[in-house]
Amino acid sequence: MGIADSIYLIERESMKESILHSLDGRIKLILLTLIIVYAVFSTQIIVLVALEAYLILLIYLSKISFKTAFKRILILLPFSIFIIAFQPFIRPGEVIYILPFGINITYQGLMFAALLFSRIIVTLTSIILLSSISPMQEVVHSFRKLGMPRDFSMILSLMIRFIFLFYDELKKITNAQTSRNFDIFNKKTSYRWRLKQLGFTIMMMFLRSYERGESIYLSMLSRGYSDKSQLYSSLNKKIGKPEYLFVATTLLLVVTLQFLSVFIFPQIGLVGAYIK
Amino acid sequence: MHIPDGFLPLGQAAIYYIITIIALYFALNWAKENLDEKRVPLMAVLAAFIFAIQAMNIPIPWGTSGHMLGAALVAIVFGSPWAAVLVLAVVLTVQGFFFGDGGITALGANITAMGLIAGFTGFGVFKALKNLNRWVAIFIAGWASTFVAAISITLMLAAAGTFPLDMGLIFMGTYHAVIGVAEGLITVVAILAIQNVRPDLLPWNKAKSSPEVEK
Repeated sequence: MGIADSIYLIERESMKESILHSLDGRIKLILLTLIIVYAVFSTQIIVLVALEAYLILLIYLSKISFKTAFKRILILLPFSIFIIAFQPFIRPGEVIYILPFGINITYQGLMFAALLFSRIIVTLTSIILLSSISPMQEVVHSFRKLGMPRDFSMILSLMIRFIFLFYDELKKITNAQTSRNFDIFNKKTSYRWRLKQLGFTIMMMFLRSYERGESIYLSMLSRGYSDKSQLYSSLNKKIGKPEYLFVATTLLLVVTLQFLSVFIFPQIGLVGAYIK
Repeated sequence: MHIPDGFLPLGQAAIYYIITIIALYFALNWAKENLDEKRVPLMAVLAAFIFAIQAMNIPIPWGTSGHMLGAALVAIVFGSPWAAVLVLAVVLTVQGFFFGDGGITALGANITAMGLIAGFTGFGVFKALKNLNRWVAIFIAGWASTFVAAISITLMLAAAGTFPLDMGLIFMGTYHAVIGVAEGLITVVAILAIQNVRPDLLPWNKAKSSPEVEK
C-alpha cells in the first residue's frame, strides 16, 4: 500500500531505548530540522556528504535498523528521482556530452542533479531518524511547547492516535474484499464498477470516522473536556548533559561546515562545489 | 505530488509558510465558529480518515496507479473550503514529519497547493456549478481540485528553477488530469453513498431541515 504501511514500523522503532531516544523531544525536533534547513541552504555536495555521515553516525548510536531506515528512504524516492533525472538534459550550461535528437548533457545540469539528490538523501535520512527516535506523541508535545496553536496541536495529537485504528479498519475492509476475490486492479471487471467499490469503501470509512468523531466528543465531554482544556503531557524531561552535548556537536558541525564552505572549499576548488 | 526538501529555495519556502500560517488562522477560526467544541475530535478523525484513504492505491486508466487527495470531498461535505485546508494541513504535517512524504521546508508549499488551492478550487467549482447539476458539479470539483493542485505545484517548481514550466505542465498536467478523473468519480460515489445513508450530514440537506430537528 505504500508509505502508510510503515506506521507500525515507525512506532516499533521509536519505542526502542538508546541515548538518542531518551533525549528531550524539542531538542531532537529542533536539531534535526536545523540539519534539514541547512542541507537545503547549502549548495555544496561535500557539505551534504558530511551531514549524511553525521546522520549515519546518529542512526548507529540510536540502534535503529539501518535496513529499515534505508528501505523507508527508497520508498520515498520515486517523485524526486523523476525530477532529478531530467536535470542533466534541461539545465543550460557547458555541454559535456551530445546525444542524438539534439539532447545534450550539461555539466551544470549534472552537478545540479547531484546536488538535489544529495539534499534529498540528507533530508530524508534526517526525517526518518527523527521519526524513528521520537514517538509521534512526543513530537506533537514538542510542537505544542514550541508554540504551535492549541487547536492545531490537539487535532494533531488526537489524529495520530487514530491513524493506527483507521489504518487497521481500512486493512479490515480490504481484507474482506480480497477474501471475496475482489481485486481493484483486476481488468476483467469494468473500471466503473471498481471505482464504485472504492467509493463505497471511502463512504464507509467516512461514516465510521464521522460517527466515531461524534462519540469521541461525547466521551471527552463526559470526562470534563471543554474549550479551555489543554494538552497534557507526561513526557516532561529535564534538559541535561546529553542534550547539551547533542546541541553542541550539531551546532559545531554546522558552523564548521559553513565556515569551510565560505572560506576554504572555494579556494581549493573542490569537486562537487556547485556554484549557481 | 508532494514536494520534497531541497527543491525550493529557502526564501520561497518561507513565503509559502507565511501563506499557510495565514490560511490556518482563518481555517481554525472557521472551525471554532462552525463546529464549536466538537471541532477538535471531529477534525482529528477526519484527518485520520483522509490519511487512510490517501494510503489506498487507486487504479487509473492506462495501467498506472495514483492516490486520492480528498480535499474536494472534505470541502463539499462540510460546505466550506476551510475544512479542507485544516484537515489537509494536519495530514500533510503528519506525512512530512513522520513519514518523510513531502519535505519539512516544503511543507508550507505542499499545504498551500494541496490544502488551500485544492480546497478552494474544489469548493469554488462545486459552488459555481451546483445549480446545473449537483453530481456533475461534484465530479468536476474533484477533478479540478487534483488538476489545479498539480498545476500549482508545477508553477512552484518552475518559480524555484527546479523544473521547467512547459515540461512540468505536460507531465504533471497530463498525469493529474487522468488521476483527477478517478478522484472526481470516487468523490461522486462517496458523496452519493453518504446521501443515501446519512443525508443529514450533507450541507444541502441541512439547510432544508430546521435547526431544532438538526440537533
